Amino acid sequence: MARAVFRRSGAPVEARVRRLDLDRPLVEAARSDPARFDAIYRKYVAQVYSFAFYELADHHTAEDVTEQTFLRALVALPRFHERAPRGASDSRGGTGSPDASTFRVWLFRIARNVVANERRRIRRHPVVPLEGALLSAATPDVEGTAIRHDEASAAWSVVGRLPDDRRRALVLRFVDEMSTSEIAAVLGRTEGAVRVLIHRALRSVAGELGPER
Amino acid sequence: MTFERDSADVDALRTDRYLDAILAAAERHAIDVPAAIEIDPALRRAALRLRRDLVRVHPSFRFEERLARRLAEAAAEVSATSTEPRGASAQVRADRRSAAVVREVDWDPAVDPAADLARQDRRPLIIRGAVASAALGIAGAAIVVARRRSRPLPPMARAARAVRRGSAARRFSRARRARLA
Repeated sequence: MARAVFRRSGAPVEARVRRLDLDRPLVEAARSDPARFDAIYRKYVAQVYSFAFYELADHHTAEDVTEQTFLRALVALPRFHERAPRGASDSRGGTGSPDASTFRVWLFRIARNVVANERRRIRRHPVVPLEGALLSAATPDVEGTAIRHDEASAAWSVVGRLPDDRRRALVLRFVDEMSTSEIAAVLGRTEGAVRVLIHRALRSVAGELGPER
Repeated sequence: MTFERDSADVDALRTDRYLDAILAAAERHAIDVPAAIEIDPALRRAALRLRRDLVRVHPSFRFEERLARRLAEAAAEVSATSTEPRGASAQVRADRRSAAVVREVDWDPAVDPAADLARQDRRPLIIRGAVASAALGIAGAAIVVARRRSRPLPPMARAARAVRRGSAARRFSRARRARLA
């Protein structure tokens, strides 16, 4: 007996469904008038800065990286092309495949490249410990900082000791609140690989932190 | 082996969904966090701890405003160069723009994601046009030189050449007539 086949003609579902990049209006505005790049800058300055800071553990270097990232983005903006995801989508506005690119993913790719460049340059110089630098400048609430000092510095030092790719994935997940698919696009990996990377990183952190006091 | 890998993938997927849930809960300022009994309690604790302790770091207000001014200046330069006369090609305008804005930044094309594309775009257009025009120029010059170098034949030589051509034509028509007959 013949089996009924419910198949529609034309392009596959993934190709027909296009996800809207939430930054598209801002990007279009900045393209037509570069002075309006300021809105994009204000939206992402803290995220890019945080990413650079967790990577390099130094405020001054993180500022340099942030500056270079946004200047490069401004110059290269006319050449940015939004690429729609082809694979599975998720509920947090992510992109489905490593070659997909929203503006945020593109910006973080630039940031990652600038960080790599900066890391090569400062390889021979000593860096400030992550936890000390974080506590000295990140948290304005001095009393709260004093109370949580031990716990927070323990967590930061554990994350700081992770291998580069695991630390980077955790920072993008928890600090920049990216979806797995966005992280995959930034790091140039598959979503499955990133999921496993984060899972293993969490397991390492859990093992080092031990039971909650 | 395959089973172990599959179970690791499933665990990773569950952890990923749990992280999605706690991040979304924080986004909507929910007090409680989703209970995920299928996830290892140690992993849950670690995730919640990192959610709390890995804070987003904001740069200083002074730095943010200084960079905003710098970007505004750069944007003005970009606007100025993009309104150049039409005679300048898009590539030339883009190059000038990049040079103007990024001259103080240590620009390394190796780390610029758009640089490869720009390099690919630029070369063939310029080189192809230059080669084509140069080839035409050389061919024209060769023809002119050849014509100038060829001296005119004396009248007797021209007459001999005409007779030779005529006799060849006659021989051809005679042979053709013989074939038809």
